[in-house]
Formats: sequence, structure tokens, C-alpha cells
Amino acid sequence: MYRVYFLLLSLLIFSGCMNPLVRVMPYEKEYLAQDKMKLSPLPERAEQEGHIFLIREASAGGESTFQGGCGCR
Amino acid sequence: MKILITLILSAAALFATPNVGDKEIPFVLPGLYQNHMKVSSQELHGKVILLNLWASWCSGCQEEMPLFVNLQNRYSKDKFQIILVNIDSERQNGIDFLRSVDPQQLLSALYDRDKSLPKAYRCPGMPSSFLIDQKGNIAGVYIGSFDKEGLQTLEKQITKLLGK
Repeated sequence: MYRVYFLLLSLLIFSGCMNPLVRVMPYEKEYLAQDKMKLSPLPERAEQEGHIFLIREASAGGESTFQGGCGCR
Repeated sequence: MKILITLILSAAALFATPNVGDKEIPFVLPGLYQNHMKVSSQELHGKVILLNLWASWCSGCQEEMPLFVNLQNRYSKDKFQIILVNIDSERQNGIDFLRSVDPQQLLSALYDRDKSLPKAYRCPGMPSSFLIDQKGNIAGVYIGSFDKEGLQTLEKQITKLLGK
């Protein structure tokens, strides 16, 4: 019986790590995609910075400099 | 432990984007241009539908919209219809953009302010498109914007579905 409780408790705890809860979903990025949310005012510079960041951090991108931050492509 | 893994895997499947062969998610949504005009997924059965979830702030959505106008131009709306579902917070933003690309209102546009459809489809990207066959089954899932090559593949699939 304790096993079942343990399982349910684990599920309850891990449910906080669910993708929809920990990640801003692409359809929720309306305000993040606005021009004023860009870190750099110059698009060319932002693109260069994004490129360097992508290489340095091996990150997946998706910031506002590429495709409006909406997660497209 | 096995039970835990099974439960986690089934929970993961529950939160995954629908696949080809799954049933479409039913909806009733108002028109983008006319709020009083409601369209339900039920009344679209019998046609091949390309359900496109888009927003005016999404640059990928803006890129593919002219391609959709050309695509709809090539097919009769009785057989194949593109249904655009706009998820902008401000309806007018969607209308303004769509009027600039599709002044003849060739594309059917609906409005989903609550983003209920992208939530239900659990869209991993914007735009997301779903090809739905005449019986309401999902025949294709396309995440991200279409380019010309992607559109050719889509057209082949539409022709295949219409030829059935």
C-alpha cells in the first residue's frame, strides 16, 4: 500500500516538471515576440549576438532575434 | 518501478501532439471578421481541411500566408478548405494582417482568443498546421512554416486525399 502512495506522491511531485508548466509554449509568446522585447536595438547586431550565443552555449535558439521568438522552424 | 515508468510514459503520451491517424479535436469558434458567425469542426466534415493555427506576431505565419492564398486559389472550397485559426489577443491585429495578404478573403478565418485549440493540440511550435481528411482524421501534422518545397509535399497529400 505504501508503494502506491509513494508512486502517487512521486507523480504529484514530478508533475511540476511537465513541459507545459516549465516552458513558455510557442503560442504564449505574443509579448515576447514584440520588438521592444529584443535585447539589442539593431537587428544585425542581435543576429550576430544570437549566433555567438548559440555556438557558445550550444543552446536551441528560439530567442526573439530568430523568427520572432515564436519557436517556428 | 515498472508501474512508475509506465505511468510517466502514459502521462508523456497524454501531453504529446496528436499524430497522423488520430481523430481531430472538435471545436466551435467565431469568425475572425464576423464574431456572430460560428463555425464548428462538425460542419467541415466531407472536405479536406488544412487547419492552420497562426498569429500576426509570428513571422513564420506571415511568411506562409501568401502561399496559402495561392493554394486555396487552386482548389474548390467544396473539396478543400484552408481554415485559419488566429490566436492574437487583439482580434484587430489578425484582421489587419490578413486583409493586407488576402484582400478578397479567400481564406476562411476563425478567431480563438483563449488559445484553446493550440492548447488542445499541444502545439510545439508556431505556426502549426494539421491536414484533416473528409472523415475528421488527422492526415498530416506540420510544425513550423511552409516553404515552397513543403507546400509541394502538402499538395501531393491533398491530391491523394481528394482522389480517394
